[in-house]
Amino acid sequence: MKVAVKYCGSCNPEIALSDVGHKIERALQEAPGINVVSRRSKPIDVMVILCGCPRACGDKKRIRKRAVHCIVVAGETIDLVPVAEKDLTARVVQKVKSFSSAEN
Amino acid sequence: MGMIHGDDYRESLRRVKPEVYYMGEKIDSVADHPAFIPHINAAALTYDMAWAPEFEELLTTESHLTGEKINLFTHVHHSTNDLVQKVKALRALGQQTGSCFARCVGHDALNAIYSVTYDMDQKNGTEYHKSFVNFLKEVQKEDRFISGAMTDPKGDRSLPPSQQADADQYVHVVERKKDGIVIRGAKAHITGAVNALGHLVMPTTSLKEADADYAVCCYVPVDAPGLVHIFGRQTNDDRKCSGCLMDQGNPEYGIVGGEALVVFDDVFVPREQVFMCGEYDFAFELVERFATAHRQNYGGCKVGLADVLTGATYALAEVQGTATASHIRDKLVEMVHLAETLYCCSIACSCQGYALPAGNFMADPLLANVTKLNVTRYIYEMARIAQDIAGGLLATMPSELDWGNTKVGKYVDKYLKGVTDVPAETRMRLLRLIEGMTCGTALAESMHGAGSPQAQRIMIMRRSNWERKKRLAQKLAKIGEQPKLV
Ligand SMILES: Cc1cc2nc3c(=O)[nH]c(=O)nc-3n(C[C@H](O)[C@H](O)[C@H](O)COP(=O)(O)OP(=O)(O)OC[C@H]3O[C@@H](n4cnc5c(N)ncnc54)[C@H](O)[C@@H]3O)c2cc1C
Repeated sequence: MKVAVKYCGSCNPEIALSDVGHKIERALQEAPGINVVSRRSKPIDVMVILCGCPRACGDKKRIRKRAVHCIVVAGETIDLVPVAEKDLTARVVQKVKSFSSAEN
Repeated sequence: MGMIHGDDYRESLRRVKPEVYYMGEKIDSVADHPAFIPHINAAALTYDMAWAPEFEELLTTESHLTGEKINLFTHVHHSTNDLVQKVKALRALGQQTGSCFARCVGHDALNAIYSVTYDMDQKNGTEYHKSFVNFLKEVQKEDRFISGAMTDPKGDRSLPPSQQADADQYVHVVERKKDGIVIRGAKAHITGAVNALGHLVMPTTSLKEADADYAVCCYVPVDAPGLVHIFGRQTNDDRKCSGCLMDQGNPEYGIVGGEALVVFDDVFVPREQVFMCGEYDFAFELVERFATAHRQNYGGCKVGLADVLTGATYALAEVQGTATASHIRDKLVEMVHLAETLYCCSIACSCQGYALPAGNFMADPLLANVTKLNVTRYIYEMARIAQDIAGGLLATMPSELDWGNTKVGKYVDKYLKGVTDVPAETRMRLLRLIEGMTCGTALAESMHGAGSPQAQRIMIMRRSNWERKKRLAQKLAKIGEQPKLV
């Protein structure tokens, strides 16, 4: 499963966006069956869109179009559901894996 | 190419040979002189952050001319989203540098000149816009750092350019040749002038027919013959050359953008780099559009700086054991309130932006002027609060050299300590950062950069619909004939 990470632009993030992003990338790289690829590569199975706040500027049509599935982290939320900053990494990885098991 | 890295930019500075003076000496290599390095680092970050995945979405975009990916600072805005993106990018950059990164002035000049050359051509059948678009393509391809040179020395402010005792107080055309023009005069306070690759020269005020020679807009490379740069002093600037790092406060990125007096001593400008020559009736449009774009910025970059200042002030209060006192918390909240009010203004004027005949977008001029007028007050108020919380040591602290001295260092360590578990060094570093951000040069930039407060008031006066406001009141007070609802 090919997964890419895309940032919103980080104008004034409410969470430590860079740290969260790096942790997510590292966790995904370590997970079996998951390949972290460039956000420009094709095809992408899951795009993790990392946004620093609920405004979710990174959640754009042109970015969504690049992948089969999208997960939007927006501040302390994942796909609009509240998630504490410390749990973001684990929950994103869990969600990515849920796509892969659904497809198997 | 479309986008370069910070080190490519530094190399590009080494390839040109501008005539630069600082402290009475001619500077050999700007890129390698300690007086300029912090300013160059700040500008270099506008390049490097564009490559960072975290910031790419803000600092890059697509050229409307070539469709290629370019750095935001060479882009001509084509939507209100573009305008909002600029403000957010400026805040993000300001948070990282804590200082001016200088590239916005040239960027705003590109946007203003793009639209005004189009309007001039429509009216007069000239071909300035075509030349400008060719120039813009070059700038985008090379990701070139250019300054925006609008402010003239202005001599006696009560007189227009053509009535000055010294005709050179405003940049003007002294000779028209077949292949170009020769200009003379100077531009003052030009941010990034010594570490840019060229200057976009624009008139500084509205002009009348008698001032036609002063209606000149053109591009001049930094090493054009006859061009001389005299770099300005800043508060505590000799600390940059003293070998002290902590005492500089922000040694990596410095204070403000690094400004210079730029003298045009009969500089030849080839025709294809001339974008206005004699069209005095378009000078006001150019000034207003540039000023609008530039004033729009200040609730972006300055708010990024305010984020740093507020953070430093909070951290210092913790080190000094005052952070939990209610008046300190109140004051910290006030700092955030002031900063976010400025941000609201910049976001609002961007969202209310509109298209110009050339197709590019400009922020709402009334709201952009309100933004900058607020900056001339709120940044001072934030600085006042930061200095209040910091205490007198901000003005009296011994040097890092004394702190490092074998004999007296122990006293500095002992008596500059705040709460027991934090070393004096932490307190000293925070104080120096606050000193740099609130004492002297940094504040004057908020007052006069992008125009003094009165310049904003004049624009607000012009742009406010006074008649409508009166009619609204007269209707409710039932004075005279009752006007319609709208
Ligand atoms: C840090 C910094 C960076 C800057 N960067 C740039 C840059 O990159 N590019 C650029 O082009 N400019 C730049 N500027 C210049 C800035 O735009 C000017 O400082 C500003 O427009 C004010 O002009 P001035 O400094 O000549 O002051 P003045 O115009 O002399 O203003 C001083 C006071 O006199 C008043 N005044 C002026 N004229 C009149 C008059 N006719 N009648 C009555 N009162 C008057 C003003 O309202 C003000 O209160 C920068 C300035 C600073 C401080």
